[in-house]
Amino acid sequence: MIKSIVLWALAILLAPFFSAVILKVKAFFGGKKGPPLLINYYTLIKLFKKGSVYSTSTTFLFKLGPMVSLSTAVTALMFLPIAGQQPVFSFNGDVIFILYLLGLGRFFTITAAMDTASPFEGMGAAREAYFPIICEATMFMILILFYMLTGDLRLAAYFSAGQPLGLWHVAGSPLLFVVISFFIILLTENSRVPVDDPATHLELTMIHEVMVLDHSGPDLGLIELGSFCKLFFYSTIVASLILPFELGHFAANIGLFAAALIIVYTAVGIMESVMARYRMDRVPKFILTSFALAFFATIITLEFIK
Amino acid sequence: MNLFFISILVIVSGGVFTLIFRRQFILMKIIGVFMISAGCFLGLIDAFSKLFNPGQYSFSFNYLNTLALSFKIDNLSAFFLVAIFTVSLLAAIYSFHYMNKKEDALRTAVNYLFFSLLIASMALVVTAENIIAFMFSWEIMSLSSFFLVIYDYQSPENRKAGYLYFVFSHVGAMFIFAAFGILYGYTGSFEFTAAKNLNDGAKILVFILCFIGFGSKAGVFPFHVWLPHAHPAAPSHISAVMSGVMIKTGIYGILRLYGLLDLHTPLFGEIVVIAGMVSGVLGVVYALGQHDLKRLLAYHSVENIGIILIGIGLGMIGVSTGNPTMAVLGFSGGLLHVLNHSIFKSLLFMGAGIVIQKTGTRSIDALGGLLKNMKITGVTFLIGSLAISGLPPFNGFVSEFLIYLGGFKGVALDKTAFVLSLLSIISLAVIGGLALACFTKVVGVVFQGEPRSHAAEDVDEKGLTMLVPMLILAGVCVVIGVFPGLFFKMALKGISSLGIGYSIPIEPFLRITENITLAAAIFFVVFLMILAFRMILYRNKPLRRSGTWGCGFTQPTVKMQYTGSSYAAFILEFFRPVAPLKEDHPAIQGRFPGKTHYHSHVNDIAELHMGNVIIRPILWMFDKLRWIQHGDIHLYIGYILLAIVVLLFFI
Repeated sequence: MIKSIVLWALAILLAPFFSAVILKVKAFFGGKKGPPLLINYYTLIKLFKKGSVYSTSTTFLFKLGPMVSLSTAVTALMFLPIAGQQPVFSFNGDVIFILYLLGLGRFFTITAAMDTASPFEGMGAAREAYFPIICEATMFMILILFYMLTGDLRLAAYFSAGQPLGLWHVAGSPLLFVVISFFIILLTENSRVPVDDPATHLELTMIHEVMVLDHSGPDLGLIELGSFCKLFFYSTIVASLILPFELGHFAANIGLFAAALIIVYTAVGIMESVMARYRMDRVPKFILTSFALAFFATIITLEFIK
Repeated sequence: MNLFFISILVIVSGGVFTLIFRRQFILMKIIGVFMISAGCFLGLIDAFSKLFNPGQYSFSFNYLNTLALSFKIDNLSAFFLVAIFTVSLLAAIYSFHYMNKKEDALRTAVNYLFFSLLIASMALVVTAENIIAFMFSWEIMSLSSFFLVIYDYQSPENRKAGYLYFVFSHVGAMFIFAAFGILYGYTGSFEFTAAKNLNDGAKILVFILCFIGFGSKAGVFPFHVWLPHAHPAAPSHISAVMSGVMIKTGIYGILRLYGLLDLHTPLFGEIVVIAGMVSGVLGVVYALGQHDLKRLLAYHSVENIGIILIGIGLGMIGVSTGNPTMAVLGFSGGLLHVLNHSIFKSLLFMGAGIVIQKTGTRSIDALGGLLKNMKITGVTFLIGSLAISGLPPFNGFVSEFLIYLGGFKGVALDKTAFVLSLLSIISLAVIGGLALACFTKVVGVVFQGEPRSHAAEDVDEKGLTMLVPMLILAGVCVVIGVFPGLFFKMALKGISSLGIGYSIPIEPFLRITENITLAAAIFFVVFLMILAFRMILYRNKPLRRSGTWGCGFTQPTVKMQYTGSSYAAFILEFFRPVAPLKEDHPAIQGRFPGKTHYHSHVNDIAELHMGNVIIRPILWMFDKLRWIQHGDIHLYIGYILLAIVVLLFFI
């Protein structure tokens, strides 16, 4: 229990660090030196020190948005096994709860954006409402597959206590599809290229960044921290899937897990460096690919493995 | 049983008294509201006590010395009675300040009369124990709600809505009559309990006929066409009752019949689940495309009926495949969603009612920024929106969670059951996502941002009796969402009278609700921690207010805001095959284009094809039969005689 809580706290503390890895990789591809690895901490401290400017159009929902989205991400991490350890909390059906809790975070992010009366933020909000619908369908498809393999509805049953290595033994080939499909979800849910470009200069083309245009100071800091945590959540899942080995020693496991995380974040960075953002109307097709993969994986499991 | 009939009597006499006292407007409203709500309160106490004290409560008397009318309250009836009386009680209180047109005193009195009849007939429908009593109450329910729909009869649109509702409810009733006719034909008895003795083929036929009949009341796709017309036409507290509980009598009918037929064929579950998935997904897609606040909410009723049917259908599949856990989870999830939906939907309709009363428009795209002046309405509407989107820690999540758990139990089954469980899980996920999109649209466009027209400026929210019911309902949404234990137990009690063949252990299921409470508590603690953290961060900080950042544009107007139509357009594009969009938008021409306009309308395919597939052939057929109607009274009498003679031969 203590171990789990420490890991949970470490996850929140280190999430900004890992996000900086993406920036480093992008800088490397661009032939630049790039910002320091601690850049996100500097940014957070800078934002936390500042005051805020609120639009005259906004209400209390505007202030509630950052808090709720951060709380949902932090709560989600409590249910996630990190480095193969037991999570802080776990119960039958917690996966469904977590998926819906992240939905709650999304609801409040969208309402915070709609609060500003800005046409750009409305645009971002409409996209934020649309794309995750397909992601959710994919997630539940993957969940069905995992349920077929383990008979359980707890995140802890998929990513701790000898899993997901056991899953690889039972259903290796479908799991390959799952990894790819999860990676696509990671890119979509966290607004990365090719779905969204966090570094773009045109508000019209953004999704997540345009929704937080009016937030400033500590509120923006909370949003940033929330999105680091959310990225960490999805990356942990992919990382647990790609290096599922158990080394027998706690520290060694942590080291292996950190290496896997770096691989995932680097992959995101490489993706952002070599690809351009899709045109908005192509994005749903891209996300649907993940659904098709997850569906295919389930069918393979049903026909050949069970 | 006595208390139940006393409460019915009090409710109906409340309605009659309003007619007597119609000359004193305020006095009439006080008497009407007081008696109706007191009757509902009595009924509510009675329903609660019967739900928790098992026993046989029945009553019967002979009507005209030939037909026996018998009523019985078992657990399933008591569960529905709780929902009916709760929503009606709050709707009655709400109506006190809502019905404020003094010049329409007579119409208001008539409205109260039919309102009281509607409540009484709904209560009788769910307690009826034989065919006669059931159809008698069912018809009163349909007729009284028809008169409530055409309350504002001067507008041709509302008369059309009323007509549509009338036709649908009677075609639906015709199917139910046909089913009951088969029942009577085979068994020769008006008793429901005789339904067990039918042979399997007849049972299936009866179920399908009844599913169409009850489905048209419940608003199952494609029999939902009346719903988005009738709900906007009725006054808002009536919409709350109709959408919150009246359409649930259709669900009650399906459940009751399933229990009575006692045939555990997989076919029933398959029909119900498929109908549920189609209604669920299409309902919310059409809702997204609406511009009228109340029409949007009406389509959400179609969606939620879909969710309820998915739950019930999974329960039926669980029964037919011998999977008790799945059966209990599916049925209890569906039944709990009946209660949950009645709470948050009536809350949303009441909220919409205040918005419409204060601004005078139902058009979403004409509103905006209402949260600033309508704090209580805005916050309660927000809670209702979160609940209907199925988000934790609100009540919608609890029932959807149970249905999910039931669905996952079905994944372990094989073939058809597997495919249907898989599809229902995916559809629930998609429905959840779309509902979130739809309600962020409503909250975002109606309550947030800046007013898009003069109608939405300088509104107030006076009217205490309208706000109190909404606060209570919003409170209930949170209570069920955080402490679902008691309510889940109620749903378990409710399904115990379905006769699914095994007793239901309560303990293992209660652990699910404890987990939900735990998870909600964790979330609240985390949220409070972050709230404290934020307060520390903002200590002694400069806070300024300024205009919204216009991305470099310095002359923003309220017209530039994203509208509901544009918000939904991107998603609707994806669903174009089932939701064809009709646009009217003249092209912009020349260097100095003049004024232009844009109209869009999302077509409901059921409504679109109903005209070609059903109405046109029927009109054609009746046109061919017109020679029967020639206006000669002698021949008309001849027809009657002929009909009687023919009937005598058959009976």
